[in-house]
Amino acid sequence: MTPERAKQLDRLPWFEVRLPRARGDFTWIYLWGAPLRVSHWVAALSLVALFATGIFISQPLFVTNGEASSHFLMGRFRFAHFLAATFLIMAGIIRVYWLFAGNKFERWSALVPFTRRNLRAMFQFLKSYATFNSRLQPHFVGHNPLAQVAYTSIYVGTTIMICTGFAMYGQSNPGGIFYTAFAWVPALLGGLQNVRLVHHLISWLYPIFFSIHVYLVIRSDYLERGGVVSSMFTGGTYVSSRDTFEDCDVGGQPSVPWRNGAHE
Amino acid sequence: MASTKVVIDPITRIEGHLRIEVQADAGKISGSWASATMFRGIETIMTGRDPRDAWAYTQRICGVCTTVHAIASVRAVEDALDITVPRNANIIRNLVHGMQYIQDHVIHFYHLHALDWVDVVSALSADPDKAAALARSISPWPNNDAAHFRAVQVRLKKFVGTGQLGIFANGYWGHPAYKLPPEANLMAVSHYLEALDWQRDVIRLHTVFGGKNPHPNFLVGGMASAINLDETATINAVRLADVQGMIRKAKDFVEQVYWPDLVAIAGFYKEWGAIGGGVPNFLACGEFPESDPRDLKSLYFPPGIILDKDLTTVHEYDHKKVAEYITSSWYTYDGGDDKGLHPWEGETNPKYTGPTPPYEYLQGEKKYTWMKAPRYEGKAMQVGPLARMLVGYASGHADIKELVGAALGKLQVGPAALFSTLGRTAARGIETVLVARKMEDWFGQLIANVKAGDTATFNKDKWDPSRWPKKSQGYGYLDAPRGALGHWVQIEDGKIARYQCVVPSTWNCSPRDAQGQMGAYEAALVDNHPLARPDQPLEILRTIHSFDPCLACGVH
Amino acid sequence: MFIRSAEPWLDGSTLGEHLEESGVSRRSFLEFCAEMAVILGLGSAAAPSVAQALEAQQRPTVIWLEMQECTGCVESVLRTEAPTIGDLVLDVISLDYSETLMAAAGHAAEKARADSMAKHKGSYLLVVTGSVPTKEDGIYCTMAGKTIRQHLEEAAAGAAAIIAVGACAHWGSVQAARPNPTGAVGVRDIIKNKPILNIAGCPPIGDTVTATVVHYLTFGRLPASDHEGRPLFAYGNRIHDQCSRRAHFDAGQYVENFDDENARRGWCLYQVGCKGPATYSPCPITQWNQRTNWPIGAGHPCIGCTEPYFWDTMAPFYQRLPEVGGFGVEGRIDSIGATLAVGAAAGVVAHAGMTVMHQIRRRRSTNQLPESGSPSSGETNDG
Ligand code: HEM
Ligand code: HEM
Ligand code: NFV
Ligand code: SF4
Ligand code: SF4
Ligand code: F3S
Ligand SMILES: [Mg+2]
Repeated sequence: MTPERAKQLDRLPWFEVRLPRARGDFTWIYLWGAPLRVSHWVAALSLVALFATGIFISQPLFVTNGEASSHFLMGRFRFAHFLAATFLIMAGIIRVYWLFAGNKFERWSALVPFTRRNLRAMFQFLKSYATFNSRLQPHFVGHNPLAQVAYTSIYVGTTIMICTGFAMYGQSNPGGIFYTAFAWVPALLGGLQNVRLVHHLISWLYPIFFSIHVYLVIRSDYLERGGVVSSMFTGGTYVSSRDTFEDCDVGGQPSVPWRNGAHE
Repeated sequence: MASTKVVIDPITRIEGHLRIEVQADAGKISGSWASATMFRGIETIMTGRDPRDAWAYTQRICGVCTTVHAIASVRAVEDALDITVPRNANIIRNLVHGMQYIQDHVIHFYHLHALDWVDVVSALSADPDKAAALARSISPWPNNDAAHFRAVQVRLKKFVGTGQLGIFANGYWGHPAYKLPPEANLMAVSHYLEALDWQRDVIRLHTVFGGKNPHPNFLVGGMASAINLDETATINAVRLADVQGMIRKAKDFVEQVYWPDLVAIAGFYKEWGAIGGGVPNFLACGEFPESDPRDLKSLYFPPGIILDKDLTTVHEYDHKKVAEYITSSWYTYDGGDDKGLHPWEGETNPKYTGPTPPYEYLQGEKKYTWMKAPRYEGKAMQVGPLARMLVGYASGHADIKELVGAALGKLQVGPAALFSTLGRTAARGIETVLVARKMEDWFGQLIANVKAGDTATFNKDKWDPSRWPKKSQGYGYLDAPRGALGHWVQIEDGKIARYQCVVPSTWNCSPRDAQGQMGAYEAALVDNHPLARPDQPLEILRTIHSFDPCLACGVH
Repeated sequence: MFIRSAEPWLDGSTLGEHLEESGVSRRSFLEFCAEMAVILGLGSAAAPSVAQALEAQQRPTVIWLEMQECTGCVESVLRTEAPTIGDLVLDVISLDYSETLMAAAGHAAEKARADSMAKHKGSYLLVVTGSVPTKEDGIYCTMAGKTIRQHLEEAAAGAAAIIAVGACAHWGSVQAARPNPTGAVGVRDIIKNKPILNIAGCPPIGDTVTATVVHYLTFGRLPASDHEGRPLFAYGNRIHDQCSRRAHFDAGQYVENFDDENARRGWCLYQVGCKGPATYSPCPITQWNQRTNWPIGAGHPCIGCTEPYFWDTMAPFYQRLPEVGGFGVEGRIDSIGATLAVGAAAGVVAHAGMTVMHQIRRRRSTNQLPESGSPSSGETNDG
C-alpha cells in the first residue's frame, strides 16, 4: 500500500478504532462512524415500530370489551408511537450532526449524487438491476448513487413525517410548544385533515423501502463479498487493493468492464 | 288616478331576500312581480360528492325549515339505492319533522306574521283585565291572567318609552287596516313573547335525536342515535321522558294558545277570506309515512292534486309530471329557455341579465328573478298547508274534515273562504293542531317497538358503496311546512352525478312561465287585492306572509 | 334569569338603575353575571367585574345584516338561554335592524337602518350572517337594488366592531364549497379595517353569540381569539380532548357500524369518520339547546363544522381521512399501499432468484466455478 494511502487512513477522526493495516493485498476501509451506525439502527428500529403502531392508530384492528376505564389499548399504541418518535428524533439529531462532522462517506455530499459521473453510474446500476447482471455495476465502497437517492428520499420523507406528526401531537395542548412550533404545518398543508392525510400516505413508504433496502445490501454483500452488511455493525469493510472504486482510491488499476468497454 | 309603481325590498319577517314590485291603481293592485335576489348554486355544488353526505349540504339550503332538505335528501338516496330504513328510524324522522312543523308554524304565526294583524302600539292602551277576560273566554291557558298581561304591558310601555324601539321601529302602527281591539293586541303581544321561550324548549326534540338544532344530523339508511335503555350515552328512558314532555308542551301551546289566538284574530279579519286567493290549482306530495315513504297508503297527509278549486275530484300526483321553466328566471337551458325540464334532466346554469345595481325597478325585464318556475303538467300550482288541507278535505280525510269544518263553523264562512290569504293562514293552524296531536301516536309507536324488543335504527346493507349499482337515480319527496318538496338525485360510480331540488317556495314564488302564467305570490297579489297606502304596503305583507316565504329554500 | 323583568330599560338609565326599578334582586343579578363569567371562561371570580361593567352600560345598538345564507345562524340565536332572545332584544341590546324579526319592511326598514347607523356612527356593533358573492360584481345577492357587498361596506364603515356569526360569514360555508359558483367569501375578505370576530359553526351555538355580545359590553372589546379569529373562551380546545367518548377512544372501543353493538354502548365514533380530532368547538362542554345533547352525544360523528372550509376539508363525513383523487384512503388507497409493500417484498425475492440464476448461467458459460475462499477482484468483477 502506498504511503499516501497510509496517510489518508491516518487522517480518520480521533475516536475511531485504530485500523488493521493492509492484510495481503486487502485493505480495511473505515466507512461508518459510530454515530452513523448508532443512528442507523436506532432509526431502523423506531421506524419499524412507528409504522406498526401508526397502522394500528389508523385502523384499530380489534376492539376491547368491558369498562373503558379498565382498558388503554389505543392509549398504549399512541404512547408507543410517540416514544418511538422520540427515539427517531434523537437518531435524527445525531445523523444531522454527522452529515457535517462525518467522513466523506457519511457527509451530506454522499447523499446527493448529482454529478454527471454519478448520474452515469446510477444509470448503470438501474441497467444492472434490470438485467440481473452485477458485472455492469460500478464499484462503490460507500453508498452507490442509486442507494444515495433512496436514502435521501427516506430522510426527506422522515422529516415530513416528523413535522406532520408533531403538528398533530401538538393539538392536544393548544398554545403548547409543539402546537406553536409546528403551527406552520397545518397552515401550509391546508388544515389538520391534510396533515393527517400526508402523514398517513407517506407512512407506506417505509414497508416498501424496508424490504428493497435490506435485500440490496445483502445482495451486494453476497455479490461483492464486501461485507457490506457487517459494515453497518463494525463500521468498515475489506477491499482488494487491486480494485478501483468510484468513491475511493485504494491504489488499484481500472478493471471495471463497463468502464473499459468490455462485454460478455 | 294613474297607477303607481310600488317596490318592497327587503320583504322582512321572512327567510331570505325577497323583492316585491306591484302596480297600484285606486287602492287595488293591478300587476305584481316577485323577485328572489339571492342565489348560491347548491345543486351545482352537490355533483361529485358522496351521496351519503348529501343530506348535510342540502340541509344548509335552509336553517328555518331545517331538517326538511336533509330528510328529502336521505329519502332520495335511499330511493336510488333501494334502501328500506327500520321502522324506528322512520318514526323518529316523523317526530323530528313533526316538531319542525309545529315550531316553524308557531314562529311564523307570532314572530313573522302576527305584526301584520297586531298593532303593538295599540296594545299599550289596552285594559289588562279586559284582555284577561277575552283571553280566558277562548282558552284555559294559565298565563291568560290580568297580572301577567299587566306585567307585559308595563314592560312594553317602558320599552316604547325608551325611544329605542329596536325591531319595532318604523312599523306601520296605526294603519287603518289594523282592526284588533287593544285587548286582543295585548294578548297577542304577550303570546308573542311566550312563544319565543316555548319554541326554544320544544325544538330540543331535534337535539335529543339529531344532536343539535338548527341542522340536526341524519343518516342514509336510518338514524345515528342508537336506542339502548340501559346506557347513558344512547336514547334511553331519560331522553324518551324528555321527548314526551316536549310533545305534551307543544300540544298544549298549540291547542291552548296558537289555535285560539288564530281563530280569535281571524274573526276580526273575515274580509280577508275573499282576498289574495291566486292560483286555483293545489299540489300536495303527501307526508308522514307510517311505514315506508314508498308506501303512499301509509301517509298521514295524503298526496294529490286539486284543479280550479274543484274540491269534488282529487287527481293523482305523479312527480314525473313536474317540469321547471326559466323563461323569466336568470338561467339558461342548453336546449333553449322556453323548454320545461323534469328534474332528472334539470340544469342549473345561472346567467344574470337584470339591470346592474343599484337599480330601481325590475318590472318590465324579461327575466327578473333567481327563482325557477316549476309547473305540473304545465299548470302553475299552490303548495303548502292550504294545499294539504284541501287535498285531505277533498279526499275525505277524517281528522282534516273535522277540524276544517270546525274552523269554518267558528268563523261562519263557507269553504270558498279557504281560497284566500286568510285561508292559507288558517290552514297552517289547522294542520299544526293535527300534527301536534299525531306526535303522541308516533311516540307511542316508538315506545311499543322498543317494548317489543325492536330497537333497530339503521339498515347497513347498502352502506358500503361496493353494494351500489353502477348507475341509479332516486326521488325523495317530503311535504315540508311550506309545501311540497322534491329532491331528485342521480348517482354514478358512487358519486352524485346530478342533483336537483324543487322546493315549496320555488312553486309559490315562481315567476311567469313560458305561457305567461304567474306564480302563486304574484297571482295572489292581483286577486281582488287592496292597497290603501302605497307608502305603507301593509296589505301586501299580509298576503305574502300568508305563504310563509323562504327564499333561501326556493332558489338554493 | 334576572333580565326577565317587567321593567324595560329606559334610555339614559344605566342597567343598575334599570334593575332596581325592575325590582330584580342583587343576588339573582350576580348569579347571572357569574353564569356569564363562566360561559366566558373568566371563572366565577370575575363575576363582580362583569356585574360592574354591565351595570354601567346603556342598551347599545346592534345592526344585524343578513347576506348570502340559510338563516340557520339567526335561528340558532333564537334558541339562546342566557339571555333569551326576548330578553336580549327588549332589555340587553337595541336591535335596530334585523330582517328576520323587524316589523318594518322595504323603504321603512332601510330607513330604520340608515337612521340608526347615522345616529350611532362609530359605536354600534355590526353582527353579520351570510357570505358575500364576488363573481359577476356581486349580483348573486342584492337587497333594495344594491349588492349585499355595498350594504356590508356601508354598515361596516360606521361599526365599532364586527361579529361574523357562522361559517358563511367567515368562510362562505356551503355556497363556497367546490366549485363555489358565486365566488362566495367571508366578511374578512371584504372588510380589512375593523376588528372582526369569528363565531364559527354551521350554525354556531346561539349562546356563544350572546356570550360574545355580553363580553363586548362588559369589557368594551372583543374577546381574545385564536389564529382563525375564533374566541378562545369557546373555541380554545379540541373536541377530541373534551369528548365524553374519549375514554372509549383510548380504550380502543369503537363503533364500527352505525347502530351496531358498540354504537349501542356509546363507544367512540373515530372509525365512522368523526372529525373531533381536527375540530375546535365548545360543543362537548356547553352542548346544544340548553345542554340537551350534542352531535356526538346523539351518535353521529362530528363533521367539523367550526373549521375552515369544512365542506371541502372535512368531507367525506363518514371517513376519517380526505379522499385522494376521488378514492377513500382507508379503503382503496391503503390497499394500494399494502399491495406495493407486499409487491416490493415479492419483487425482491423474485429479483434475488433471477440474480442467482444469472450468476449460475454466466459461470457455466465461462465454465469457471467460483473457488470458495478469499474473494478476488476477478470474482468481484465477473460475479
Ligand atoms: C416516520 C415514521 C412514522 C410513521 C410511519 C407514522 C405512521 C403513522 C400512521 C400510519 C398514523 C395514522 C394516521 C391516521 O390514519 O390517522 C400516525 C398517526 C400519528 N402519528 Fe405517526 N408516524 C411516524 C412518525 C411520527 C412522528 C415522528 C410523530 C411525532 C410525534 C408522529 C405522531 C403521530 C400522531 C400524533 C398521530 C395521530 C395519532 C392520533 O391522533 O391518535 N408520527 N402515524
Ligand atoms: C426500516 C429499516 C431501515 C431503515 C429505514 C434503514 C435506513 C438506512 C439509511 C437511511 C441508510 C443510509 C445511511 C446513511 O448514509 O445515512 C442505510 C444504510 C445501510 N443500511 Fe439500513 N436501514 C434499515 C434497515 C437495515 C437493515 C435491517 C440492515 C441490515 C440487513 C441495514 C443495513 C444497511 C447497510 C449495510 C447500509 C449501508 C449500505 C450502503 O452503503 O449503501 N439497514 N440504511
Ligand atoms: N320553501 C321552503 Fe323550506 C320549507 N318548509 C323547504 O323545503 O323553508 Ni326554508
Ligand atoms: S353558517 Fe351554516 S347555518 Fe349559518 S347561515 Fe351559513 S349555512 Fe346556514
Ligand atoms: S367520538 Fe370523536 S371526538 Fe369523541 S373521542 Fe371519538 S374520535 Fe374523539
Ligand atoms: S359538527 Fe359542529 S356542531 Fe359541534 S360536534 Fe362538530 S363542531
Ligand atoms: Mg332547483
